[in-house]
Amino acid sequence: MARAARASGIRFEDRTLAQTLGALPWGLILMLISMALIGTAALYSSTYTNPAEAALPARHAFRFSVALALMFVIALVPLKVWLQAAWPAYFVTLAMLFGVEFFGVTGGGATRWLPLGPINVQPSEFMKLALTLALARYYHNNLPNSNGRFFIHLMPLLMICIPAALIFKQPDFGTTLALFASGGVLIYLAGLYYRVIAAVAVTALASIWPVYQFVLEDYQRERVDTFLAQLTGQAVNTLDDGYQIEQAKIAIGSGGWQGRGFMEGIQAQLDYIPEQHTDFILTVIAEEFGFLGATGLLLLWVIILVWGLIIARSSASLFGRFAAAGCVATVAFFILFNVAMVLGLVPVVGVPLPLISYGGTVMFTTMACFGIIMSVHLGRDERLSSQGVI
Amino acid sequence: MSLPSEHDTDVRLSRRIVTAGVAGGVLFSGLIARLAQLQLLEGQKYQKIADENGVKLELAPPLRGNIVDRFGQPLASHRQAGRVSIVREQTPDLDASLREVARHIDLPPEQQARIARQARQQASFQSTIVKNELSYEDFARMSLLAAEIPGVQVDMATTRSYPRGRDLAHVLGYVAKASADDLSRLTEGATPEEAELLRKLFRHPDMRTGRSGVERYAEEWLRGEPGFRRLETNAAGRVIRELDSDDLAPTPGKDIGLTIDAELQRAAIERFGDESGAAVVLDIETGAILAFVSTPAFDPNDFVNGISHADYNALRENDRSPLYHKAYDGTYPPGSTFKMVVATAALEAGINPEMRVHCNRYYHFGNRTWHCWKKGGHGSVNMHWAIKGSCDVYFYEIARRVGVEHLADVSKRFGFGQTWELGMTGGRSGTVPNDEWKRRALDEPWYEGETLNYGIGQGYLSTSPLQLALMSARIAARGRLIEPYIIGEGPRPDKPIPDAAPLDPEMMDRMKAGMYGVTSEAGGTAWSSGDLGLGGPRLAGKTGTAQVRRITEEERRTGVLKGDQIARKLRDHALFVCYAPADDPKYAAAVVVEHGEGGSSAAAPVARDIMATAIRRDSRRAARWQTASAPSIITSRGNQ
Repeated sequence: MARAARASGIRFEDRTLAQTLGALPWGLILMLISMALIGTAALYSSTYTNPAEAALPARHAFRFSVALALMFVIALVPLKVWLQAAWPAYFVTLAMLFGVEFFGVTGGGATRWLPLGPINVQPSEFMKLALTLALARYYHNNLPNSNGRFFIHLMPLLMICIPAALIFKQPDFGTTLALFASGGVLIYLAGLYYRVIAAVAVTALASIWPVYQFVLEDYQRERVDTFLAQLTGQAVNTLDDGYQIEQAKIAIGSGGWQGRGFMEGIQAQLDYIPEQHTDFILTVIAEEFGFLGATGLLLLWVIILVWGLIIARSSASLFGRFAAAGCVATVAFFILFNVAMVLGLVPVVGVPLPLISYGGTVMFTTMACFGIIMSVHLGRDERLSSQGVI
Repeated sequence: MSLPSEHDTDVRLSRRIVTAGVAGGVLFSGLIARLAQLQLLEGQKYQKIADENGVKLELAPPLRGNIVDRFGQPLASHRQAGRVSIVREQTPDLDASLREVARHIDLPPEQQARIARQARQQASFQSTIVKNELSYEDFARMSLLAAEIPGVQVDMATTRSYPRGRDLAHVLGYVAKASADDLSRLTEGATPEEAELLRKLFRHPDMRTGRSGVERYAEEWLRGEPGFRRLETNAAGRVIRELDSDDLAPTPGKDIGLTIDAELQRAAIERFGDESGAAVVLDIETGAILAFVSTPAFDPNDFVNGISHADYNALRENDRSPLYHKAYDGTYPPGSTFKMVVATAALEAGINPEMRVHCNRYYHFGNRTWHCWKKGGHGSVNMHWAIKGSCDVYFYEIARRVGVEHLADVSKRFGFGQTWELGMTGGRSGTVPNDEWKRRALDEPWYEGETLNYGIGQGYLSTSPLQLALMSARIAARGRLIEPYIIGEGPRPDKPIPDAAPLDPEMMDRMKAGMYGVTSEAGGTAWSSGDLGLGGPRLAGKTGTAQVRRITEEERRTGVLKGDQIARKLRDHALFVCYAPADDPKYAAAVVVEHGEGGSSAAAPVARDIMATAIRRDSRRAARWQTASAPSIITSRGNQ
């Protein structure tokens, strides 16, 4: 019982609200707030020349405030409640995904929204969190008695694949990837043998060409071609598919060491980059604050994520560890994929940069993830039974 | 209570969290490496691209050169004119804004629709011109109202302007927006790049090209070189701000100085009143054209922003041909003004000027009879009397003796039968007929009877007022082969090489004496026009009447119809050629009053008053822009 020695001595339920708040990882929260402020500044710089977008930075800040409040609410909900809610949350969200399939609202070429009374909700976004919680719950219950048996990982695979298939069909490639990434990380953490991982990797590599040749649509193949062409430095049609990524490279590259200075970015100010205030917001930071600024931003994220992993590792319960690690993986996937995309290392798939990109959904998903992480932090000493009873 | 397997799981989980973290760290390092590659290794390359990315060069049209008269008076220059335009993205309802504008200025619904269509075709931030050339009242009203009508802007545009309106319409010509035809003409012979630049330039809303006259002939000289404006634009082309562009400023077009005296020109036009006709005044010393009148005229200002179909058709259908440059493009039978040419030919042929011919009004040749204009005839006349009394019978006789070929030769030496290139569009050579011409044109030989008509300036012979003035000037200058020109400073056409044999000065003195007789001796056909009213200098000249229709034998018996008895368009043209002062010629002129009937009654008084004005104004005094006495210092720049 090495862990018991670290216990604060006060049971979760016995803390006053002040004590609970005091126990929150405030350094982490401050870093998240800083991140949102950086995002607001970058948004301001990229939108202030356009009167039609003048309201975006303020709206971004407002949304963050709401998301921050949501994070606190989630954090203050005892971890065992999340454990108990995991299965219902997963199945309700899955049901909603099926609902989207039949009653979904189409927008921007994709059917992602489910009309629920006066609002449209996006179940795929809930699924990122619900899947993490459900997998955490699954491993929390099943891992201790698995004795390293391989087949206990089949169920999680199914749990990932069903919603992933539905979301892929919407189509929402970014979220599909996110589910596989964070779910995959959890399966890895649960101890999937490296030889299996190697086998999967080999299979995946081997299937690249058949998928390219037989599964992808023409327009998707074209995108991949464009991507490969720009990656290898070939001339691409800069007015078409390659335009956005080419302009992004110009913006980032022209930042040099220190950047052109706040609100001095030529590419940023002159709207050369489509989606600059959403998915391509990093180009503003890279152009105006240079290598130092962009690297600084990434390092700040690294610190935040490492902090999340430390919380995951320090949790006394498997559920807490998996839930926190899964949330870190979800956010990390967004960051890694977004930055790789903006830097032209992976094809352009609509994945935003958390807390920096303009857009409500990812903001709430991210802050909900940190809510769970903090809930794990507050309940790190709780040793939960399979049903969440301490 | 912790099972061993659970402990193993714990340990492995903790280890794998670290491993995953490390893997994530590796991925982040990869991203940072990529950042370093783009920003540190390739940074300068991208910086250069970015710097050029945001700057667009917008073609800046050059200011067209001015055209001034010999004293520097502006004839074609620029004027600021109010303009209303609309920007689509600045109004929530384009059509409503246009309707609102139409409540205050004249803007018919079909024009509103056209403007709205044009605005919707352009990018939303580009402005579309609603109305050019606002009147002062409209400009004042719209300036006040613009702030209240969304999307509407009022500004000033630079417009080509012809401050003297109709006065020099045919000489200056006019400018207009380049049409497809203009563009193909303007880009002829240009390299593809030059052609592309020109096409772009002429798409600019402020850009105009010369359509006729000097404006067209001297297009390249006047146009100047386009420059550029450095504009910082965003990716959609919206202009963020203008950068310093002084080093790329357009080069304005070069000015042109005409030999015209604008005040003399104005006086001449006013003297014509409602009559239509042409007048040319030359400086005898240099050949400079001081007045080049064709009236009535159009107002070139109406063409700058496009003339309406209705207005254009009205001009085209006007029976006094305002669009037509009568002094340069118009050709008329010279009538009796041609008699000096015939007389000169006679002298060259050795006919004694004192030889007398008896005129009893009739001249029989072959089986036909020719008439003299004077009832009862002139009696016995020598050359001097024949000129001043304009005796047709005398000239029938000597023309027959001289023969058509020699007449044609002398005509050409006086300047007839050739187009005088002046550096403007138009110009007609007229016709100096001879046997060869007739065989070519009509496939018939020359009949000797036709030589008789030649002798009194009728028949196939046709001449322009410019040529008549030139003839007069060559006589006055005692046979010097003066050449007319109108471009004092600017692109001149290449000088034609004069190959004509000179005219004998003493023969010319005889012609001058005859012309002096016309205006100043008893029996002269225009003796009342000799006095210029200046208390000294007198006018010498020669009347002429150009038949527009053929007079039948029947009519001749019953009395030739005149004045109100026949339609205006069938009445004779009245002509007068002259020079002054008679004793020391400075100016030569030709006047044609279309359908004015009598050379002495209609044309001579006009000519006299124009000459008096020229002398009074001293129109030939040195031009502001340089001497006019060296006509070939500037040659054309290879234009036309």
